[in-house]
Amino acid sequence: MISVTPTALSDSPNKLDLNNLSPEQVALNINNLNLHYGNKQALQNISMAIPKGQVTAFIGPSGCGKSTLLRCINRMNDLVDNCKITGEINLHGTNIYDKHVDVAELRRKVGMVFQRPNPFPKTIYENVIYGLRIMGENNRRVLDDAVEKSLRSAALWNEVKDRLHESALGLSGGQQQRLVIARAIAIQPEVLLLDEPTSALDPISTLTIEELINDLKKEFTVVIVTHNMQQAARVSDQTAFMYMGDLIEYSDTNTLFTTPMKKKTEDYITGRYG
Amino acid sequence: MAKVSKSNRSRELKNSVAKWLVTVGGISVLFTLVLIFLYLLYVIKPIFESATVEPVTQIALTTKTETLSVGVDELKEVAYQISQSGNINFYHLKTSDEQAKNQYQSGDIALSQPLVEQGDILSQVISFGLDNKLLLTKQGKIQLIKPSFQAQYTDNSREIVPRVSYPLGESSLVIDEQDETISVLDFAMSDEKMVFVAFTQDSRLIYTSFIAEDDFSYSDSDYETNFIEISDEFTDVDEVYISPDLNLAFVRSHSTVFVYDLDDDSASLRATINPEFSQANTYLTTMALLSGGSSLLLGDNQGQVSQWFEVATDNGRQFKQVRTFKSQTNATQGEPAIRAIYPEQFRKSFYTLNEQGELNIFYTTSDAHLWQGTLVEENMQALAIAPRADGLVVMSESLNTDSVKQTLHVFSVHNEHPEVTWHALWQEVWYEGYAEPDYIWQSTSGSDDFEAKFSLVPISFGTIKAALYAMLFAVPIALTAAIYTAYFMTPGLRKKVKPTIEMMEALPTVILGFLAGLWLAPLMEAYLPAVFLLFIFLPLSTLITAFVWHNLPRDLKTKVPETLAPLILIPVIILAAYAAFALSPVLELVFFGGDMRQYITNDLGIDFDQRNALVVGIAMGFAVIPTIFSMAEDAIFSVPTHLTSGSLALGATQWQTLAKVVLLTASPGIFSAVMMGLGRAVGETMIVLMATGNTPILDWSIFQGMRTLAANIAVEMPESEVGSSHYRILFLAAFVLFVFTFIFNTIAEFVRQRLREKYSSM
Repeated sequence: MISVTPTALSDSPNKLDLNNLSPEQVALNINNLNLHYGNKQALQNISMAIPKGQVTAFIGPSGCGKSTLLRCINRMNDLVDNCKITGEINLHGTNIYDKHVDVAELRRKVGMVFQRPNPFPKTIYENVIYGLRIMGENNRRVLDDAVEKSLRSAALWNEVKDRLHESALGLSGGQQQRLVIARAIAIQPEVLLLDEPTSALDPISTLTIEELINDLKKEFTVVIVTHNMQQAARVSDQTAFMYMGDLIEYSDTNTLFTTPMKKKTEDYITGRYG
Repeated sequence: MAKVSKSNRSRELKNSVAKWLVTVGGISVLFTLVLIFLYLLYVIKPIFESATVEPVTQIALTTKTETLSVGVDELKEVAYQISQSGNINFYHLKTSDEQAKNQYQSGDIALSQPLVEQGDILSQVISFGLDNKLLLTKQGKIQLIKPSFQAQYTDNSREIVPRVSYPLGESSLVIDEQDETISVLDFAMSDEKMVFVAFTQDSRLIYTSFIAEDDFSYSDSDYETNFIEISDEFTDVDEVYISPDLNLAFVRSHSTVFVYDLDDDSASLRATINPEFSQANTYLTTMALLSGGSSLLLGDNQGQVSQWFEVATDNGRQFKQVRTFKSQTNATQGEPAIRAIYPEQFRKSFYTLNEQGELNIFYTTSDAHLWQGTLVEENMQALAIAPRADGLVVMSESLNTDSVKQTLHVFSVHNEHPEVTWHALWQEVWYEGYAEPDYIWQSTSGSDDFEAKFSLVPISFGTIKAALYAMLFAVPIALTAAIYTAYFMTPGLRKKVKPTIEMMEALPTVILGFLAGLWLAPLMEAYLPAVFLLFIFLPLSTLITAFVWHNLPRDLKTKVPETLAPLILIPVIILAAYAAFALSPVLELVFFGGDMRQYITNDLGIDFDQRNALVVGIAMGFAVIPTIFSMAEDAIFSVPTHLTSGSLALGATQWQTLAKVVLLTASPGIFSAVMMGLGRAVGETMIVLMATGNTPILDWSIFQGMRTLAANIAVEMPESEVGSSHYRILFLAAFVLFVFTFIFNTIAEFVRQRLREKYSSM
């Protein structure tokens, strides 16, 4: 029914008890998060802990709030009109919705990659160092190093090293998406949010990105929203299933896909709706 | 099946009709554009054509005596010849189709009349103006005659009937008190006065004036005579000329020209002209006065003609050599000497005849050499330019051994626009009476002997100046407004603001123009310091308000709906403007001695026009703001959100995102918005017409006006004669304007395409 790749299984040898994580194991702690778009409630009382150095996937049918939840983590919803958020998300014990939090600073710690590749109309080089530039970094050597390191981490270096100063818009969709990932990791975030990163890509590019995600979790905490259950099963350690703004079930990926606790989860992963 | 194919056919039909309509529409737009272009060129083309001279007719004459003077009527239908024997003979000419019905043949004598008593022999005929001829006989008799022409209509055909009149009576005029024979003579006359300067056989240079009791145009009018001896130091005088205003006499003795001031009762030496020649053994052979009488033309034996006129210098007015003219013959033994110079009556053209019988046509101010050629192979005895400068009458004499054969030749000259050359339009031209070469546009004036000055430089400059000042005012306001509206404003407010500003574009510019000219210009003149204060106060007060608002407690801020928050600025701006105007008189009193305008003019020495670049900048800036705003706003607003989110997600602030991603991505659109604004400012007519003062000056000063191409066309087209040089130059101005906007739009499109390739978002 669902093909769970051996790597996904073997990557989580010691299962975490998600309800009982020690503080140093937690990257993000979401507490009673509610979100309203005007009168419509999009997220209802979400509470969960996202473990450090692992890949956590949010799955669920369209409109279930998984992307909204993801965008709450780096406060991208601030840009949406009529959006009201209550509850808290703690990063290092600080509520990111606290008055004193500098949003720009938060977003440097919590990077994000969007559904559609969105390189800036600049060169590949300038794209990668964009985050460093706006932080005021102008040292050529630092920038050169960051470009190489990030592009290597994003498995793009070999493909673009000879044309770093050409427009990023000349890359293929898959390459563009890896460039965007390189751009996000160039500023060394702690958490990397991936919002359906492969939905606009072809299968081969998708595979490359998935392999990349596997590598990324060595350095970053990765949270991925995906529409594709196989993908969640392949790349994630933990999976959260959401439905109509509620967090239905949250457990390690293997468990969720093989022995779901809730009826709704089972219906979803067996393809009854979604 | 049939049904399906029918509907297919109707779809195909609709498709092909639509395709056809679109193609026709597109092609006709292009065609119209090309047609406008071609029509402009068609009207302009004649001004760049050079002169042509073509023979019309020739008449073999029966008279045997030498010809002294020839002439022709305005329509070139009757030519005359004054011979040494004292006869004037008028000949019919058939030069136009209209005359076909007439009874006479070309060469028929229309009138033959003796002018002097039997036995007298003419030695000289001196012309003044078109039709005054002074006859000088070998016996020393002097007579003024006036050949004139009248049109008569008989049997549906028009015939020119010549007549000869004697304005001062038939008896001889007394010019020399001592009644000595006169060897060199010139005269000039106005309605009330007639002036003679003559050199007598006993070497006296004399100045005689007749002052009419009422008017010379009445026949046999009485006059008072004034005899003055100018000098008796000359041994030789070659030529004498009197300026048509009767004030100056030019006396050439060998290679020196003496200029005398002629007053009512005295004559004094004003200047001497000693031309310096580059080659040795050069000497003057002839001289002439250019039309208008301010320029002297000196011809020398090297075939060169130089133009001289008085120029204001540090040492007062002095005669200066302004330019020289030379024909381009490749003669091996040097250029043949100039034999005679024939100036045109009304234009600054002149014809030169050299010793080899070659004729050259020049135009002085445009520095143009218009024509070169030999009209007749035989010896040329007399030449006259037709009154309208559209023809030449030449009397030639062939030297056969047994007989003398005279022939009267009539040529038509096509030389409509000699004053227009590329040089005269775009380069500095030294006009008569000016201290130095300059760019001048002055197409008309009150006087008849005025020379039109057609430099396109000041008006092209004015166009660019007006556009640049307008852009200086409009671009910062329009772009910041566009950025704010597209990027920061709430969608609700944006929906109201954008159409409102776009509505401004529909405001007729004539209203803006007269508001600027009649209300804004005097207001700004009266409150000049306030205008400059506003440029400081408005941004400053806005920034202060923003700062205060930013630091207000959040509770207070939330009470004001976000949509209405920007409205807080309205009272602030009104207050700032009020403060600027209230402070204006105080500032004037403290810093500018009570009047800033006076201060600028007197203390700073800057010329101040009420209608100046500042007024135009603001008024026309106001007109182009909506254009720039609307396009730039669209460009910024259409920057995809995923790009801005991408930047924000990387920790960039709103400002960083705006500067580094939004503006960069929108740059092609912003650029074309600015260029469209510029294109509009260049072509704008009504505002510049009413608010610039229309002074064609070359000055970047913000306090000076200008004249633009568009305004110039609007002002002058109604009063220009169709087909004249002025008319055609206005078309040329239109063409230049067309090229300007064409260039701006092409650059805009080209750069936009390049930018779009570079920065296009997906």
